[in-house]
Amino acid sequence: MGVLHRQGWCGATGLAVPLLSLASPAFLKIAGVAPSWAVLWLLPWALVDGPGSGAVAGAALGLVLDALHSGDASQVPVLVLLGWWWGRIGRRGAPIERSFSLGLLALLGALALGLSLMLQLFWQGALPLPLAGWHTLVAQSLVTALLAPLVCSLLLLRWRQVVGWRG
Amino acid sequence: MPGRWFRVPTLHKIAAAWPWWLLVAALLGVRLSKGAFLLDAYALLSRPFWPGSAQSEWLRSGQRLSDQARLVELERDNQRLRQMLQLDRAGQTLVSAPVISREPAGWWQQLELGKGRRDGIAAGDAVLAPGGLLGRVASTTPTTARVVLLTDGSSRIGVWVGRTQQHALLIGLGTARPRLVFLEKDPGVRPGDVVTTSPASTLLPPNLTIGVVQTLDEQAVPAPEGLVQLSAPVDAVDWVQVVTR
Repeated sequence: MGVLHRQGWCGATGLAVPLLSLASPAFLKIAGVAPSWAVLWLLPWALVDGPGSGAVAGAALGLVLDALHSGDASQVPVLVLLGWWWGRIGRRGAPIERSFSLGLLALLGALALGLSLMLQLFWQGALPLPLAGWHTLVAQSLVTALLAPLVCSLLLLRWRQVVGWRG
Repeated sequence: MPGRWFRVPTLHKIAAAWPWWLLVAALLGVRLSKGAFLLDAYALLSRPFWPGSAQSEWLRSGQRLSDQARLVELERDNQRLRQMLQLDRAGQTLVSAPVISREPAGWWQQLELGKGRRDGIAAGDAVLAPGGLLGRVASTTPTTARVVLLTDGSSRIGVWVGRTQQHALLIGLGTARPRLVFLEKDPGVRPGDVVTTSPASTLLPPNLTIGVVQTLDEQAVPAPEGLVQLSAPVDAVDWVQVVTR
């Protein structure tokens, strides 16, 4: 576990995820579909703070986001796995900084999250037309990947500074 | 001079009076044609003074007023008859609520409203917007309510096509247009027919506009299916009305 989660205010920035999901600003949408704010916040968090903290943050975010939607489809499992995976990537190898790498990781994360939701909704019978699911999946992955270099690199920079001071 | 009055006028005198003959012929023409030329001439002359757009606007506004008054009267009458038939739930009221979060596209199609249990809103209540039915309340908190839109994949309501008096099922697909599934083999519905809530419905308020049949697949098995273009614009609605029980 890293030191980031011991800074209360860093964890509190996670509150922006449900708030942005609720507000869903129209100018950040592609074809009416909003980005996955959970992926955009969890990626830098896990990269800086490690797999354990990433998995816990993923679970917390997933629980809050599940509460914001009707139905039983859950985002928790995929967000936990993504937090753990991104934490491992951050611990092994060189620190990830390039926009392309961030965008690619966010794209993979959004695709995994979208696919899991699509399968769950399909099994529950809440997605009678799979085509609608593919449309949402592609649009959300694209807009998340496009925003990742902007949002994630700023958060990464700030949190690495914090870790540098405290660590 | 005897016989002077009976003398036949000479021919050249008759011919000299030709303008008078012409006048008589014209008058006879007017009489025989029942005034055709005269009316045409009058129409031509009075054309600048015919009723213009101002008059038609007055008439239209009068018509609108009369329609509105009739609508109110008929609704009141309808309400009374439904109460006599005990089809209506007593004490229905409309609560206006602001839309505080909107997600018309994506994995879920839902709205969050800024009023909840404290204002009498409960799960299952119908949510209306200018244009017609938007969806139903799925869950409430003391100050908010979550509305599942008709387009959501989990939305299923019974509807009514008034022109052919057919019941059907409206199933959300997760896209902008829900699917209309008929219960009978030959519903006789065609694109352009208006879809409303069932007049016999007790779950939803009766006779609310939902949308218009856009396409129809007659070959679908086991019964014909169609797509419905909803009439209430979800993206533009800031305030909605909840029909509470």
